[in-house]
Amino acid sequence: MTLVESDAQLVSRAQDGESQAFAELVGRHKARVFRLAVSILGREFIPEAEDVAQEVFLKVHHAIASFRGEAEFGSWIYRITFNQAVNLKARVRFRSPHADETVLYHAVSTEPGPERQAETAERDRVLAECIQTLPEVYQSALRLYYWMGAGVVEVAELLGIPENTAKSYLSRARKLLHGMLKERGYSCD
Amino acid sequence: MTEMEPREDALQSEMDRLLRRSMAAPIPSLPPEFDQRWMNEVRRRSQPSNRYRRNLLTGYGLASVVASAVVMRGQGINWGTTAVMILAPLALAAAIPWAWRIVQKAPRQSVNQI
Repeated sequence: MTLVESDAQLVSRAQDGESQAFAELVGRHKARVFRLAVSILGREFIPEAEDVAQEVFLKVHHAIASFRGEAEFGSWIYRITFNQAVNLKARVRFRSPHADETVLYHAVSTEPGPERQAETAERDRVLAECIQTLPEVYQSALRLYYWMGAGVVEVAELLGIPENTAKSYLSRARKLLHGMLKERGYSCD
Repeated sequence: MTEMEPREDALQSEMDRLLRRSMAAPIPSLPPEFDQRWMNEVRRRSQPSNRYRRNLLTGYGLASVVASAVVMRGQGINWGTTAVMILAPLALAAAIPWAWRIVQKAPRQSVNQI
C-alpha cells in the first residue's frame, strides 16, 4: 500500500529543493488551476488560460521557499490564479477573442427546428453578453458550476469563499440575469 | 413574504434550467505537453540568473578572502589566526540558512500534525 503524501509534505520537500515533489504538486493542482483560469477568462480565451496556468506555476515555483503554510497550499495557489487571470482579463478585454462565446453556445444547441434554433441561439447570445456584465466572481462561479460541472463545494474552494457565499453568489447571479433577460424582452423558459 | 418565496424559487429554478442548457459545452483541458512546457520555462528562467548570481558571489567571496588575508598578514597576524578569522565567518554564513530552515520547519510541521 502506498501512502499519499499531503500537500504540506510535498511543499516541505519542494522547499528542500526536490523538483519531483514540486512536479507532484503541479500534477495535483494543474487541472483546477486551469479550470479556474478558464472560468474567469471565459471560453473565448482558452490559450490565455493555459498561459495563466503556466505563469501561476512559475510564480509558485519562484515563491515556494517563502510559503509559510499558514493557509492551505491549494487556497494559496488558487488565489494567485484568480489574481493572475483577472489581471490578464483586464488586458485582453479589448482584444478580439479566438472564438466567439456565442458561436460555442450555438454549436451545442439541441433545439428542434431552424426557427426555434435561431431564437435559442439569439437568447443564448444575449445571455452570454449579460453574464459578461456581472462581477468577476459571479461570472467565475457561474462558469464553474454550469459549464464545468463543479459542485458548490468546489466553486467555494476555488474562489476561496465559504460554501454559503458560493451558493449566494450563484443565486444572486441567476436573479440578476433573470432581470436582465426580462429587460431585453427574453423569456427564461 | 409567503407569496414571494415560491416566486423566487420559480425564478431560480427557471434560470437554473436555462443556464444548464445554455452553458453546456465541451470542457477544455490542458494540453498533454503542458508539463514539459512549464518545466522548460522554469529552466529557461532560472538557469542564467542562477549562474550569474553564483559566479558573482564566488568572485566576491574569493576577492574578499584574498584581500582579508593580505591585510591581516600586513598587520603581522600569523597564518593560523588569519585562517581562523576568515574561515569562521564563512562557516557561520553557511550554517545560518541551514539553521533558519530547521527553525522555520518546526512550527509548520506541528501545525500540520494538528
